Amino acid sequence: MGAFTLRRVLQMIPMVLGITIVLFAVIQAAPGGPEASLLATGRFIDPSVIEAYRHRLGVDQPVHIQYVRWLGAALSGDLGVSFSSTRPVIEVILERLPATLELMGTAFLFAAVVAIGLGTLSAVKQYSLADHLGTGVSFLGMAMPVFWLALLLQLVLAVRLRWLPVSGTHTVGLASAGDHLRHLVLPALVLSFRYIAGWSRYLRSSLLGVLRADFIRTARAKGLPERVVVGVHALQNALIPVVSVMALNLAGLFSGAVITETVFAWPGIGRLFVQAMLARDYPLLMGILLLGSVMVLVFNLVADLVYGVLDPRIRYE
Amino acid sequence: MRPWRGTTRLAALGALALAAACAPADAPSADGRKILRIAYPREIDVLNAFTSQNLVDIAFSMVEGLVTTDEHDAYVPVLAREIPTEANGLVVLNDDGTVDITWRLRENVRWHDGEPFTSADVCFTWRFVSSEGSETYNRDQYLGILDCRMPDAHTAVFTWDGEYGYYAGIFEAILPEHILGGMTTREIVDYEPYNRGPETIGTGPFKFAEWKAGEYIRVVRNEDYWRGPAYPAIDEIVWAFIPDSNTRLNALLSGAYHFGQIDPTQVPRARGLDGYDVHLISSNSFMHFDLSLNTPRARTLFGDREVRRALFHAIDRQAIADKLMEGTVRVADTPINPTSPYHDPDVRGYAFDPERARRMLDAAGWRPGSDGVREKDGTRFSFTMINRAGAADRIAIAQVIQAELADIGVEVRFETLESAAWTQRWRSRRWEAVVSAWFLPADPSLTGLYACDGPNNMTGFCDPALDETLTTSDRFLSFEERRPWLLEAQEELADATFTLPIYYNATPEVVSTAIGNYRGSGTNFGSFWNLYEWTLEP
Repeated sequence: MGAFTLRRVLQMIPMVLGITIVLFAVIQAAPGGPEASLLATGRFIDPSVIEAYRHRLGVDQPVHIQYVRWLGAALSGDLGVSFSSTRPVIEVILERLPATLELMGTAFLFAAVVAIGLGTLSAVKQYSLADHLGTGVSFLGMAMPVFWLALLLQLVLAVRLRWLPVSGTHTVGLASAGDHLRHLVLPALVLSFRYIAGWSRYLRSSLLGVLRADFIRTARAKGLPERVVVGVHALQNALIPVVSVMALNLAGLFSGAVITETVFAWPGIGRLFVQAMLARDYPLLMGILLLGSVMVLVFNLVADLVYGVLDPRIRYE
Repeated sequence: MRPWRGTTRLAALGALALAAACAPADAPSADGRKILRIAYPREIDVLNAFTSQNLVDIAFSMVEGLVTTDEHDAYVPVLAREIPTEANGLVVLNDDGTVDITWRLRENVRWHDGEPFTSADVCFTWRFVSSEGSETYNRDQYLGILDCRMPDAHTAVFTWDGEYGYYAGIFEAILPEHILGGMTTREIVDYEPYNRGPETIGTGPFKFAEWKAGEYIRVVRNEDYWRGPAYPAIDEIVWAFIPDSNTRLNALLSGAYHFGQIDPTQVPRARGLDGYDVHLISSNSFMHFDLSLNTPRARTLFGDREVRRALFHAIDRQAIADKLMEGTVRVADTPINPTSPYHDPDVRGYAFDPERARRMLDAAGWRPGSDGVREKDGTRFSFTMINRAGAADRIAIAQVIQAELADIGVEVRFETLESAAWTQRWRSRRWEAVVSAWFLPADPSLTGLYACDGPNNMTGFCDPALDETLTTSDRFLSFEERRPWLLEAQEELADATFTLPIYYNATPEVVSTAIGNYRGSGTNFGSFWNLYEWTLEP
């Protein structure tokens, strides 16, 4: 397994290089440039200022020159300076990462607990009211646009009932752990909804298959209590495909949730990405997308490794 | 076999715990401090008022200029003791055509770090802004200044190479020479401690406290403010960045903020909010429908002024203002806002009269074709309007125009582009028609927009008479001399018929009744121009 991991890691190097080329090309191919934010306010702009701005940022150079410069710096660990905030990209990203990890992590854990419960319930009590309800909730979660759900929850829980704050991470001047948690509830809930929907469906179908397997019948024949049959024997096997899906989703932990973070004014990577996109902040975009891509590769590998750990039938050479 | 009941019980417990943690949210003040909470629509880039690409109203709570503009678009001296004019002897026309403008500065002003504010700061600010690479959006307006002299610590004299009507308004902010003085222009542009705090030093009523990336900017009371110990009356201001307009409205509806800007279409919902007033601030900005002469097709279609007039008569601007914008805006006939003393109320308007429009097109030789679209010499009257994706108000207006022009036999097709792409296309002049908006400074000059070589005239229209009037209007320093030229320019512009003003943009501001002395302004200084005198009831 060590050799397998090493080989996969080595394979990632040309992969990442290829990704950077594609990303750089796609970002630059988008029409308009960083000067768009100068013009967006609708003020009169001295045209020589636009030229000076483009020159300082280096975007008046041919794309391949820009890429080579970027790559050279990136190889030495320097991802450049964000156009709009004039600060190092790494610093800007690291500043936003904790908020994203916190939000995504909370949503993830909550979703995992609920999805496993819901999926198991649906499978064990197939075609019962609980199953139909779970299925209904799942489909609703997949079908409902995130921003709509977010606004709806804001209206009901924050505006009408005033139980929770509408947006942000804390009440400035009144920060406390409880205050912070209250701010976390809505975005985490919205974000977890889709995961719950997906994962519980995977688990349900996987568990349904396992529950009909011979070894489950054997377990029941041995007289094991149903709790042990389902909770230990069936669930452990049914979780294998679900866990690999979860591991892949984990990559998203680092790229944030674009819509949820924007709607709830949560200062994470997803919102940063939107800002960078609108401002054509090329270095910042590259930084965020590179982080996201590397994480996808890493968690792909993690998923494969976890698969091997959970399922002894799988061997890596 | 009942293992699942445990799960249910656990979930119920969790829900209970959650509900217990949820107390009602209000806009609170910790330990009796008066904290003003503002729901702000965007995160700004930097706090340097000259290099920022955003509107810099937040920075103006900390940084002051020689002047600001009040709610009537009039200049008000801030760090200057008065506005220099020929009448008060501070503007002197020299024999060689140059002009000396003397700014007398307030003497008791200190920077937030205790250093005195002097004429050296004023001259330094000019040197920085006019230098190559300062990236100030209106740098060209500072280039007419030849020299800055400091007869004493509280007098700065600028020598201009001629007369420029906008001279009074350009020093919107003053930079601290003692902090930035030793640096190159590039170093200042990149200097993070000034751009993002903690060295964002000004002379204003509030001092920089904190900038939490992606979340908020917080400023605190300047205990040593030059207007005296009574000012400011608020201890702290928090600008929370809430980019989504629906969330912003919900945040205001939840009572967590004292102040916020919303979209015009949200006004009906905000109007019912207890403890808040909705003010419609007529921003110095106007929506307009432009035709171009840039492409061969555009020249064929729009080359004839009578045809352009016909199109303008077919557009029901009153309906756009009343129905589309919920009656929050005023129809515009000229770019200059009615709040400005330079506004011309008598310019030619284009009344909605589709019958007349049809007759005019008939007379110009454009006859209805087999599919209802007019034709002339084998050319169909069909053109493309470029729209900016996400600009809901502009797209809605474009749709109204499309329908109304279809009604007189003119086909409008849409090409919708993402914001930055739209800007690039517009600047490249490869377009035929557009709905767009300009944000004007307090100075009423229209030259940059409509002169033949105006840097922001992307229409391809060039009217030599209008050009002459516009250029002349910039050459007068006094209101009395300048006004007739600008009135003339507005009339000639309306006659030229290549840009149809639609309405003056209104920014709805939701203001808590706890706020006192709010005097909303629509200029680029924004409604925060007089934060020093705002009060806040607990």
